[in-house]
This record gives sequence, C-alpha cells and structure tokens, in this order.
Amino acid sequence: MKVDGYDAVIIGGGISGLMASIWLATKGRHVAVVSKGDPMCCLSTGCIDVLGHTDSPLKDIRKLPSSHPYRMIGQDTIKEALAFFKEVMEGIGLHYTGDPSRNAEILTPVGTTKTTCLVPSTMRIMSNLEDEYLHVVSFKGLKDFYPSYIISRNKNANFSIFDMGVYNTMGLAHAFEEKAFLGRFIRRIRELEISDARIAVPAVLGLRSPERIIEEIRLETEKDIFEIPTLPPSIPGLRLFRGLKQALLEKGGQIYWGKEIASVEKTGKKVEAITLAGEGKPTRVHGKTFLLSTGSFISGGLYATRESKAYETVFDLPVYMPDKRHKWFNDDFFKTGHPIERAGILVRESFRPTDNDIDNLFVSGSILAFSEIMKYQCGHGLAISTGVAAAKQMDGFLK
Amino acid sequence: MMFEHCIRCNICTENCPVFRVNKKFPGPKQAGPDAQRFRMDREESVDSWVELCLQCKRCEVSCPYGVNVSEIILKAQIKYRQEHKKPLTSFIFANTYYMGLINSQFAPLVNRVGQTGAGKTVAHAIGISTKLPLPQYHVLTLSRSRSKVGKGERKVVFFYGCYLNFNRPDLGRTIRDMLARMGIEVVLPNQVCCGLPALGNGDIDTARRFATKNATILSGYIDRGYSVVYACTSCGLALTRDYPGILDVPNGKKVAENTYNVHEYILKLMEEGYLEPEFGQVNMKIAYHIPCHLKAIGIGYPAARLFSMIPGLEYHVLDDNCCGLAGSYGFKTKNEETATELGSIASASILSLEPDALVTDCGACKMQLGHLTGLKTLDPAEIISASLK
Repeated sequence: MKVDGYDAVIIGGGISGLMASIWLATKGRHVAVVSKGDPMCCLSTGCIDVLGHTDSPLKDIRKLPSSHPYRMIGQDTIKEALAFFKEVMEGIGLHYTGDPSRNAEILTPVGTTKTTCLVPSTMRIMSNLEDEYLHVVSFKGLKDFYPSYIISRNKNANFSIFDMGVYNTMGLAHAFEEKAFLGRFIRRIRELEISDARIAVPAVLGLRSPERIIEEIRLETEKDIFEIPTLPPSIPGLRLFRGLKQALLEKGGQIYWGKEIASVEKTGKKVEAITLAGEGKPTRVHGKTFLLSTGSFISGGLYATRESKAYETVFDLPVYMPDKRHKWFNDDFFKTGHPIERAGILVRESFRPTDNDIDNLFVSGSILAFSEIMKYQCGHGLAISTGVAAAKQMDGFLK
Repeated sequence: MMFEHCIRCNICTENCPVFRVNKKFPGPKQAGPDAQRFRMDREESVDSWVELCLQCKRCEVSCPYGVNVSEIILKAQIKYRQEHKKPLTSFIFANTYYMGLINSQFAPLVNRVGQTGAGKTVAHAIGISTKLPLPQYHVLTLSRSRSKVGKGERKVVFFYGCYLNFNRPDLGRTIRDMLARMGIEVVLPNQVCCGLPALGNGDIDTARRFATKNATILSGYIDRGYSVVYACTSCGLALTRDYPGILDVPNGKKVAENTYNVHEYILKLMEEGYLEPEFGQVNMKIAYHIPCHLKAIGIGYPAARLFSMIPGLEYHVLDDNCCGLAGSYGFKTKNEETATELGSIASASILSLEPDALVTDCGACKMQLGHLTGLKTLDPAEIISASLK
C-alpha cells in the first residue's frame, strides 16, 4: 500500500470548507481539512440565510450585481448545493425545513422575527408572530434570554421560568440528553396546564439528539414545542458545525485541528503542500488541489493594516479593497452595505483567483470579493453554494 | 497569543467538557483570559476553582484567534498549587512514575491489595477514587523487556511512557514488534515519566526534572540519526509541545522537532516510499475515540488514515468528547462526579454505534471508557498490527 498526498486540502473548517470537503469525499476523493480553530458558524443560529433582503431568494439572485459570487454559480447549482446540504444534515439526524424559493420568518429572543431560509426542524417558521398564542418557558439564571422582550411584543404570549438547577445553555443542552432531567422538565410542563397553543423554549434541547428530545416532549405533553435561537454559546450553531464535521469524518475525511499555517510550498504553477506551525516539528499536509475557505476579516482569512492595506493570510493573494480606510464604513454604522464588505479575493468562473498563476488553488466562502454577506444577508447560503461549486471545479481539475 | 487577543466569542466555552457538567467551573473564557486580567504575580491566588480544569486543551484547539487559553489556566493552576498546601493525591499523582517503579516490583501484592475492601478504604481516605478499577501493575515491565528489536535503515527510539511501561507492557511489546516487522530498528532506552502528570498536578519542578532527563537521553539518540516515536498521545503532547514550551528544557526543541506519533511515522515512511505495507482483512466494526491530546497535537488522526486502508474494517471516528479521566484528574475523589458524567457522555456516543470494539490511543481513555462501555478496548496499533501481512 502506498500513500500519496490528498486529492484536496481544504483550508478553513467553516461551512464552506466542510461542505466542499463533504462533496468531494462523497465523490470518493481523499480530503483533508485544516482548521486553526472552530468556525464562526458555531456562534450562529444554525439557520441558513440564502438571500435575506428579499422574499424569493432563488429568483432574485439575478437581481444581484454581476460581480456577486452568487451570479457566477447560477440558480440551479445553488438549488442543488442547498439540497445537498439538507441531505447531508439529514444523514446525521438533523433535518432542515424551508425552501430556497421563498424566505421564512423565525422568532428571536428579543421578540422580533428574523428572516432566513432553511430552518432546523426544532425551530418554527411563523406566519404572523402577533397571532401566535405562545407560552415561553425559560430557565432561571439563563443569561441573555428574557421572555419579557417577547411578551412585550406579543399580547397573546405568556411565560414561565423553571429553576432546573442548571444555569447556562451548554449545561442545559447536556442535561436534556439525560432521561431523568427530561422527565423532570416534562412533569413541570404538565403541571403548568398550559392553554396556549405552543410552547417556545430557548434552544437548549440537547446537543446530540434534539429531534428525539423534542419528539418525546411533544408526545408526553401533547403540546407543540419549538426552539428560539440564543446568543452564543449557541447550541444550534454548534449542532450545525458538529453535524457537518461528523459527516466528513464518516466519509473518511481527515481534519487537522488547531494549528496555523506556517508556510506554503510551491513548484511552478502548483501549490504542493502547506505546513502547519507547532512548537516542534511542523506538520506537512500535501495535496493535489487546495481550497481557500478561510473566511473574511472576522475569521482571520483577511487582515487589514492601518495603512489601508489588506492581506490574504495564507497565500498572500492580491486582495480587492474598495477604497481608503476612511471610506470603509458608512457614516451610519447600523446602515448595512459598508464598502469594506466588498473586500476579498477576486476569482474567475472556475473559482480560481484572478491575477495569479497558480493552477490548483480554488477559493470559496465569505473571503470572495463582493460577497457583502451582511448587506444581502447571505452568509451560510453563500458558504454552502460557493463551497459546492468550487468543489465541483476541483473535482473536474482532478479528472 | 496573549489573553488580550480574546474577543470573547465563547467558542472555547462551547467546547469545554467540564463547563457542561460542573456548575462550579466558570468555563475557559472566564477561567482563562477573563480572570487573567485580575491575576497578579505578587498577589496570592484566590481562584480555587481553577483546579477544576482538566487540561484537555479543547479550548485552545477551538480558539479561532489562537489564544493559549489552557496554558493561561495551567499557569494559574501551578501558581495556586505553589501557594497552597499540597494534598497527598497531588503528590502521588505528580510522581506516578515512582509509584510505578515501586508497585511493579510488588505487582501481584499491589494488584491484590488494590482490589480489597481495606485497600479501597485506604485509597478513599487519601482522596483517591475507587470508582474505576485501579490500574494493574506488572513485574515484567517494558523497561525490563528486550531493549532493541528489528533491523533497518530507519531507526527509532520508542518513548513508551508510564502507562505502557508499568500497566500495559504487553501492548508496548506489540507496538515495538509491529515497527520491527515493518523493517524499522526500534530501541527502548531507559527513560522516565514524560512529566505531564507532574505538570497537571501543579508541580512544574518535578515535571522539568523528568523532562530534562528524557531530553538528554533522546537528544543523544537523535544525534545518531534516530527519530523518536510515541504511542501515548499525552506523552506526545508533552514531548512536542511542553518540552520546548512551558517546561523549556535544554534540547527541548530538538526533541520536539524529531518526535512522531507512531502512526504518523508509519505514514511518513509510506509517503517517502520506504514502507509499502500490505494490509489484510480485519472484519470488525470499531468506534475510534480520539483522545483530547491527540486532537491538540495537530497532526490529524494518522491511525484513522491507516484504518482507511484496511479491508473489511468499519471505523467511526469520534472526536467531540473527553473521557473525563484525564490522567489523574478523575482518580481524585473530588473530581469523581465530573469525570463519571463526562465519561458517560462519551460512552453514550460510542455505544450508539453498536461497535464490536472501542479503539483509542490514550491509556486513561482506555481505562475509563473500557470500564463504562463494557466493550472490548483496543489500541489502534493492535488493529494495524493484526492487519499487517
């Protein structure tokens, strides 16, 4: 038996990198993901925003500026990528509802609604919040989740606070996996004799098997119950990340955790390997193709200096920057569409960077120039779609 | 990276095993970077809960900004221990190596006493948990077995560590012989504890003494063209990270640069074309529990890569859970509840796969999860060795 380099080395273990690697692994490719830390999706609601600023995401993709990465992929591939995402998540027992042809609304902890597209089945897509007869059940001591916000916006809502002896989201999510704790929670719900149509709880109903837990509560209380996403630590975000990661491991993918990339080896027009930093001997990961999905500024894929310069942190690829530093932000901070959001790596149709002569390097996710994921509210959707689209290009390259 | 780089995103909190099950521990963000702002070298430590951290390193591995969360906590633990009276358990577990030396001399007696009611009462009285069966000792330790086997161009020093030496010399010999069968020269020189147990019990001086001794021995071999291989992933973490890092011993960097996980080394030789092993059928379904420290070393999961080449083997990689024992942590009565709870989370994941066997690299994981799942518990090397034609 011989060992050669990986078919694909994915740099960045966020949604985009994981989806690309799962897609490639499904095609029988040997893949490795290199991730210096856990991705930002761990802090997200677990919902997939595809295009939040409109009602019909898929249809309205053509209305985006032609420079937007979505426009390079086209509707069909986006649809296919999202369907593939749903299938992968189903495979590890986390179902998603919702349809990319129209957006959905879910309840937030402050009683407002959030527009999104694909929603974990533990949450609820609502038509009109004010008509909902809700009973919010929260837990004593839980920070950043105050039912009063919801009550103040919905006159038909009531609430109860349970003291279950556990006071944070991580602890609660673990406790819900235990039979005795779940039983105690169900008894408390029954004792309340809630007349409201539905029960809403902060998203802490288990980390490993939330769907089984919700089903059991539904059966035992004969009440419809759903989760409201919380601020970090976010259990649905963690479920999303761990689900994708587990799907990759199940398909034989390798993951190198917790180390930054110290150097890149190139010969001619090819990247040969990357080297991971460590106190001692560096680890060399060598492959036939490479995908850069390191994210934007927040995830460390891009780095900006005081002198209005920005760097891509692994390959030092040229970065498109919108303007001088003093023009990076709008005067009104809360107005979305800050020019700096357009910063990133420019790519060709093949998802290979422009202004570059490397053949086997591809780019996906929020590091792509003109993504403007805040403005168009398209973070996870863009990550999934460009991840799969880039993976297809890589697969083609490998043939 | 310093604590100032923390942006308080809480990803470490999401990954902390202890925070999930023990209300008294405020989580790595608060115990690490947050509390660090208030710690002063010349003021006495007041944060006794800092000892509840079991040093799995999951916070550090998951941090997107590279903050050395667990090292900040480790330093606070050491400072706390230096300022407060050492409980007997800390002394015992910092010096497991000497315990091993003595216990293996009188192995049959020690093993029997450990199982008696009286033995357990004594253990309990000094703060040692008896929930798990105490590890068994052997007269024929690895250090008393053949110290040189195999012939080949490639030569390695096997750093086997205390667990293989005193408690599982049979497994140590399996690993040694597997390498020899592949055409590698394996030597097992005299060596002492890697130092990690001492470090984990707040005794950095003892840890440094052990590390200095090992580094001197290993460095001599490295100069003569040997590489160092380890099978215990916690020893591996100490050798590759703590020797040049927090312990900062002479030749520490040299040791770290020449040390490999045993499976990583096999893969390296395969990539270089030196080895072309043939793997035979192993008809088994296994759950491969990744020890926290293997994840922390940052070399991927080399044994899993070898598993993928074995025909008939169905393997599932699980890397989200800490077994809870964490070396000596779970053997202290004060941590018993936390350890058992964490062990049961890990066991549930393993058992849900209904595997024929549990496979894991780390001795502590083997003891804890083998006991809690009741499954046959193997080392990755045992699977690879069995498959090797």
